[in-house]
Amino acid sequence: MAIEFTDCTVRFGQKTALFPLTLTLGERRIGIIGLNGSGKTTFARLINGLVKPSEGRVCVNGLDTAGDAKAVLGEAGFIFQNPQHQLIMPIVAEDIAFGLKNRGLSAAEIEERTQAVLARFAVSHLAKRRVHELSGGETQLVAIASVVVTAPKILILDEPTNQLDLKNRRLVEQAIAGLEQQVLVISHDLGLVADFDRVLLFHEGRLAADGSAEETIRHYHGIAGC
Amino acid sequence: MLKTLYVEGATPFHRVPLRAKLILLMTASIVLFFVSSPAILAPVFLACLCLYLTLGLSWRDALGRIGWIGFAVLVLALATWFFNGLNEAIALSLRIITLVLLAAAITATATIGAFMDEITVMLMPLERRGLLNAADVGLALGLVLRFVPEIAARYDNIREAHRARGLPVRPLTLFVPLIILTLKDADTIAMAIDARGFRRQ
Repeated sequence: MAIEFTDCTVRFGQKTALFPLTLTLGERRIGIIGLNGSGKTTFARLINGLVKPSEGRVCVNGLDTAGDAKAVLGEAGFIFQNPQHQLIMPIVAEDIAFGLKNRGLSAAEIEERTQAVLARFAVSHLAKRRVHELSGGETQLVAIASVVVTAPKILILDEPTNQLDLKNRRLVEQAIAGLEQQVLVISHDLGLVADFDRVLLFHEGRLAADGSAEETIRHYHGIAGC
Repeated sequence: MLKTLYVEGATPFHRVPLRAKLILLMTASIVLFFVSSPAILAPVFLACLCLYLTLGLSWRDALGRIGWIGFAVLVLALATWFFNGLNEAIALSLRIITLVLLAAAITATATIGAFMDEITVMLMPLERRGLLNAADVGLALGLVLRFVPEIAARYDNIREAHRARGLPVRPLTLFVPLIILTLKDADTIAMAIDARGFRRQ
């Protein structure tokens, strides 16, 4: 399982969001940290092809995100910063099932997989609930379940504990800890990534540090001036 | 905030298959335009009104869902009265309101997922002829239904924000942010749909 960036650059108009970057990500748990606007989200969106490189290439398990875009979407699931944007359907079970449509599965298979993933994240009781009635933690768990149900090999989570209270944060942390996929987490919550295998620090569109969580977080404190 | 027009319930109309309801609406839309007698249209209107009011909606919600059409019907009725007479104006109003009530009753008794599935199935013959992608059309129509309450809620939020800041509510300052925010969300939702691999085929 590997994500490879080769001389990858991203520009939006005249602005360079990500300067040339070459690296390989093979660890199971990878944290991505940095100040606001440092290029973290652009970097993460490159992995499942939501952003295409202006130069260079990104390969996920050997698939080019530019040339094999649809196959890459099946390999790498993305959980957005605001989970409300990700939940397309208004009822929880309908939304989980949404991602399974167009995959040639029967209605019974879709129902079975939906119920299984709801049970896995201990949210079966929410199946018939309306998405807008869920708490922040429940919404985040449903968003994670809605992506996990499609069985991606890689999961990218953009600030999954953002705006969550302590109780909900614990629930989401436990859910992330239980994921068997390769997981990349963008976060301002340094505690969340403190025991990850590898942490990347972005600053002004450049990879400023890359190593163990302890070293990279120390470097980050230096950049942030605190 | 994500809401739904669907109202949970177990009324007889809830149990009618969605395909039958959509065929009923399509048939009514055609037939009623050949009927111009208020004496025939009025009982049909009353039947649809009774149907709509027995779906488990509160009076406020029931009115809120269809109230927006009132102004348009009024304008049309006045213009028709002016050009074609009172009888024609009454017939036109009854016809439109009846269809709106029937359509509102259908959206209140079917989930968006059911709509998408049904429309996708109904359009499969056209997909087989290579004329369109049935799943895409189903998704587009489902998203329209999903967006209606969302846009209404955002409209209320922007109006409240005006009041909170002591600003007069003007169409320009109301609709410009409404359109921009809606387009911005649409962009993000489109990205989320891609990210979830719905359009993989």
